[in-house]
Amino acid sequence: MRPRRREPVLALCLLLLAATMLTACTKDKDHRTLRVLASPELADVEPLLKDLEDDTGVELKLDYKATADLSGPLGSYDLAWPASDRSYLLRLQERGERAARPESTAIMRSPVVVGLTRAVADRLRRGVPGGRLSWADIADAAADGTLRFGMADPRRSDTGRAALVGVATAAAGTGGALRTQDVSCDRLRGFRSGQTLTGASSRELIDGYVRRQSAADALIAHESELLTLNASGKIGQPLEIVHPEDGMVLSDFPLMLLDAGEHKAYRKAVDWLRRDDVQKKLMERTWRRPVGPDVPRPAKLRAEIGNALSYPDQPAVVQRLMENYGAPGNGRAAAGDHVVFLLDFSTSMRGRRMADLRAAFADLSGADPTATGKFARFYRGERLTVVRFAGRVLQERTVTVRGDRDLKSLNSFVGEGQFGDDTAVWSALGRGYDIAADAVAEHPGRPLSLVLMTDGENNAGLSYREFTRRHAKLGGAARAVPTFPVHFGEADADALRRAALRRAADATGGRMVDANSSSLSQAFKEIRGCR
Amino acid sequence: MPDARRPPTEEPRLTTRRPARRRHRYPRHVVAAMPLALAGLLALLVSGNTLRPFERVTTIDGKMASKSDYFKDPEVQRLLLKHGIRVDIHRLGSRGIATQSLRGMDVVFPSGQPAARLIMRQQQRSVRTARPFVTPLVLGTFRDYAKTLVAAGVARPQRAPGGGETLYYDLDMKNFLKLIEDQKTWNGIDFDEHTDRSNAGRVLVRTSSVCESNSAGTYLSILAFVKNGNQAPGTERGRHRRAGVGGPAADPVLDVAEQVKPLINLQGMASDEQADSYFSDEGESIAPVSLIYEHQFLKHQVDHQKKRGKQDSRRVLLYPSPHALTEPELISLGERGDRLTDLMESDAALRRRAIELGFRVRFSGEDGTSEQLNAYLREHDVQVPTPNPDQTKVDAPDLNALERIINHVGSCPPAGRDDGE
Repeated sequence: MRPRRREPVLALCLLLLAATMLTACTKDKDHRTLRVLASPELADVEPLLKDLEDDTGVELKLDYKATADLSGPLGSYDLAWPASDRSYLLRLQERGERAARPESTAIMRSPVVVGLTRAVADRLRRGVPGGRLSWADIADAAADGTLRFGMADPRRSDTGRAALVGVATAAAGTGGALRTQDVSCDRLRGFRSGQTLTGASSRELIDGYVRRQSAADALIAHESELLTLNASGKIGQPLEIVHPEDGMVLSDFPLMLLDAGEHKAYRKAVDWLRRDDVQKKLMERTWRRPVGPDVPRPAKLRAEIGNALSYPDQPAVVQRLMENYGAPGNGRAAAGDHVVFLLDFSTSMRGRRMADLRAAFADLSGADPTATGKFARFYRGERLTVVRFAGRVLQERTVTVRGDRDLKSLNSFVGEGQFGDDTAVWSALGRGYDIAADAVAEHPGRPLSLVLMTDGENNAGLSYREFTRRHAKLGGAARAVPTFPVHFGEADADALRRAALRRAADATGGRMVDANSSSLSQAFKEIRGCR
Repeated sequence: MPDARRPPTEEPRLTTRRPARRRHRYPRHVVAAMPLALAGLLALLVSGNTLRPFERVTTIDGKMASKSDYFKDPEVQRLLLKHGIRVDIHRLGSRGIATQSLRGMDVVFPSGQPAARLIMRQQQRSVRTARPFVTPLVLGTFRDYAKTLVAAGVARPQRAPGGGETLYYDLDMKNFLKLIEDQKTWNGIDFDEHTDRSNAGRVLVRTSSVCESNSAGTYLSILAFVKNGNQAPGTERGRHRRAGVGGPAADPVLDVAEQVKPLINLQGMASDEQADSYFSDEGESIAPVSLIYEHQFLKHQVDHQKKRGKQDSRRVLLYPSPHALTEPELISLGERGDRLTDLMESDAALRRRAIELGFRVRFSGEDGTSEQLNAYLREHDVQVPTPNPDQTKVDAPDLNALERIINHVGSCPPAGRDDGE
C-alpha cells in the first residue's frame, strides 16, 4: 500500500508549497510606495526603512524639507513626518476650516535642550545656586555677552520654532501657555543678542557649527541631534547636554497620514515603527527616546528631561513671537534696541525714590536674580541714553553696551547725579524726541523707545501744548517712537498729572506704567522690549 | 469588496495528515521539498497569516478613538479572526468621528455616549449597535503629585489592602478646580517638598482636544456640573438665576461654558493620545495630570504585574468626585458592520477578554459591572479600586447643551461633513 500512504504527505507538502508561494505573491501585490515629506533631521532613520519594506512591503520615500508647519503644496505627498505637528495644527486652525485632521502617530520623542561646551557649562553653573541651569540663565549669559549660541531659524524650522516657544514661555514665567499679552512685548532681546549661528534646519545649523566651532559656545536643538553630534567625533569636545530647569518643549516626531486612501499602508508602517525591536533600533541609531515603556534605555537617555511647557494654541501668539525675534545669527551682529531714559532728578526725588531708581538700574544691569530679571536686563549691543532733568535738562550720557564697564559707567551716571529745582516734564520729553529724531536718521531700522520717569507736576519749561505742537512737526519715523511714562508718586493726589502722562503715552503708541502698585524695577521690566 | 456578503468559507481541515510511520518510503523529491514547505508554514505562522490564503477574511474598516485599544489587542484579533473578521483601525478622536466623513467605514466606535448620539442622529436609517462595556473617566498622575494634592487637602488616598501604598485616590473636584482657578503652580502647593524635583508649571489637567475627543468632552461635563452647583447646566429652567451684565450670562449654559473655559484653555494646545504619553517613560515630564480612562490604567497595572512582578506604584489614579462613566458604543454602518456588532453582543469570549483589558462588563444576572473585573484584578495582584459610596455621579447635560459648551470652550470649527452623507 505504499502509494496510498505517500499521497497525503505529498499533498500536504504541495499545499504548503503553494501557501508559501501565495504568501510571496500576496507580498508583491501589497507592495506600496509612499512619498513622505520629512524633517531633514529624520535622515538618520533612512537606513532602517529597507527593513520596513522587507517586513511589510511598504516603502517610504523620504523627501527632506525644512518646513515649520508643512506649508507649501502637500498634494504629492502621502505622508508627512515632521518633528512636531503643532505648527501644522495651528495653521489648520487659523484657516478656520474643518479640514479633516490627519491621522497622526507619535514615533519617537526628543526634548529641545541646550548643548554647552564644558568650560561654559561649568562657568554658568558656578553662578547659579544649586547649579541647575535654566533658560533664564542662558538668556542672562547671552545678554552679558558671555554666551554665544546657535539655534535654527524659527520661521523655517520646526525645531527652531519649538526652541523659541520654549524660551519665550520660560521668559513669561506664568507656568501656563503663552498668551497674547505675554508676547505683546519682546522679552527675548537679551537672549537673542547672544545668537551667532543659525540655519534653515537644525541639520544646517549643526553642519555650520561643525565647520566653525569657534563661532558658538552652545547649540539649542533636540537632545537626539546633540547626542548624535557628540557621538560622531566631528567636534573637538563633546557638548554637555543641559535640560533647562524651567522646562522644555518635547517633539514627538509624528507620522501623519495626508492621503487617507493610503490608510492600510500607513497602518502597517506605523505598527512596524512602534514595534519594540524597531523602537530599540531607532533609539540606538538616532538617540531619540522610544515612545513605548518597554524598551530598555542607555544611560544617556535616562536623564530626566524636566517639565514640558504648555504650547500656545493661538496662531497669532506664535506669529507675533517670530516677528519679534526676527532672524539673528546670520553672521552680522543683531542690532540692539536703543532706549532713551528721561529721568526726573528734581529735589522731590531725593531719598527713598532715588534709591529705588538706582536699584532699578542696577537690576537691569544684571543684579536682578529672578528669571524675569534675567530676561529683561540690559544686553550687549543695546544702546542706552540717560537724560537727567529737573527744571531743565541737566546732563545726558549715551553708551552702547559692550561689557560690564559700560553698564558701570551708566550706573554711576545715574547714581552720582545732582538734583535740581523744578520739574520740566515736557521739555525733557521734547529733548527725548530730538535725540530720537537724530537716532532714526542715523540708524533707520533700529528699534527705539523713550522711557519717561517722573514724580512731579510740570512747573517749568514747555507746556504740554507746546510739546505736542513740536512733536507734530517731527518726521514720521521720529513721531512714531513710543513713549512709556513711568509714574512715581502718590496715586490719589496726582490724577491730573497722570492723565497728561497717559495722554502722551497714548499719542505715541506707548503705555503708561504705574510704579506705585509695584516696584520701579518691576515697572521697568514691564516695559522692556515694548514698542 | 463586492463579494463580502458571501459567507466566509470554512477553514480547511487538514485531516489528511497522518503520522508517517516509515520515513524511508518517501521519494527523495518529497523529502527535499519538506524543509521548504515547513519553512513556508513557519513563515505563515510567524506572520500570523496561517491559513490566510485559503480562507476569506472580511476586513472591517472602523473609525475609533481610545477604544481601538480593544481591537488592537492580539487576543481580540485572534478571536475575531476565528469568525473571519479583521478590523482595520482608523484612529481619530470620537467627536472627530462624529463630525467628519464616514465614507468607506463599516463601523465606528466612539468612546462615549455624546459622540455616539451625535453620529446616530446623523444616520438616515436605524442602525445596529453594541455597548459591550463601560469605563470611568479618571485622571492619571504620579505618586509625588498625588501626595502634593493630598497635602493640599483636595485628594484622599483609598485604603490599600495590607496597608501598602495605594494606587488610587479620590479627588474632590470642587476644591481641585479652586486650585486651578487660583492660578496655583505645583511648587506653589509645595510640590517641591514632596520630591527633590520642582515644577513651576500651573496646576492643570492635560486633555486631548475638546473639539475632537470624547474624554475631553466628558471632562467638560464634569467641570460644568461642578461649576453649576452640582447640576447639569441647561436643566435649571424655571429656577431663578442671577443674570450677569449682558453677554452670555443671560444664557445659563453659555454662562457655565464661560466659567469652565479657562480651566481647559490654560493648557494651551491640547495633545492627542493622553494615555500614550502618560504611560511612556517621559510621562511625568509631559504632564503631571492627564485625562485618561480607567481601563487604560488597569490594563497597564496588570501588564506591569505580569512583566515585572509588581504594580507600577509610581503611576496612580485620581478618581474625580463627582465622577462620570463613559459608555463606548460600536455603531454599524452597514451589513459588514452588523456582523461585528452582533458578534460583540453575543460572543462571551470577546466580552471576557474586555475584562482582561480593564473594562467593566455587565453580565446577565449581575447587579453591577465590577464583580468580574474586581475578581480578575485580585487574581493578578492588582489593587481593586473602591467606589466611594458618597460619590455623586455627574448628570451629563443634554446633547445640545453639551455641544454648545464644547463649541464655546474649544472655539471648534463648525461641524461640516465633507461628503454630504
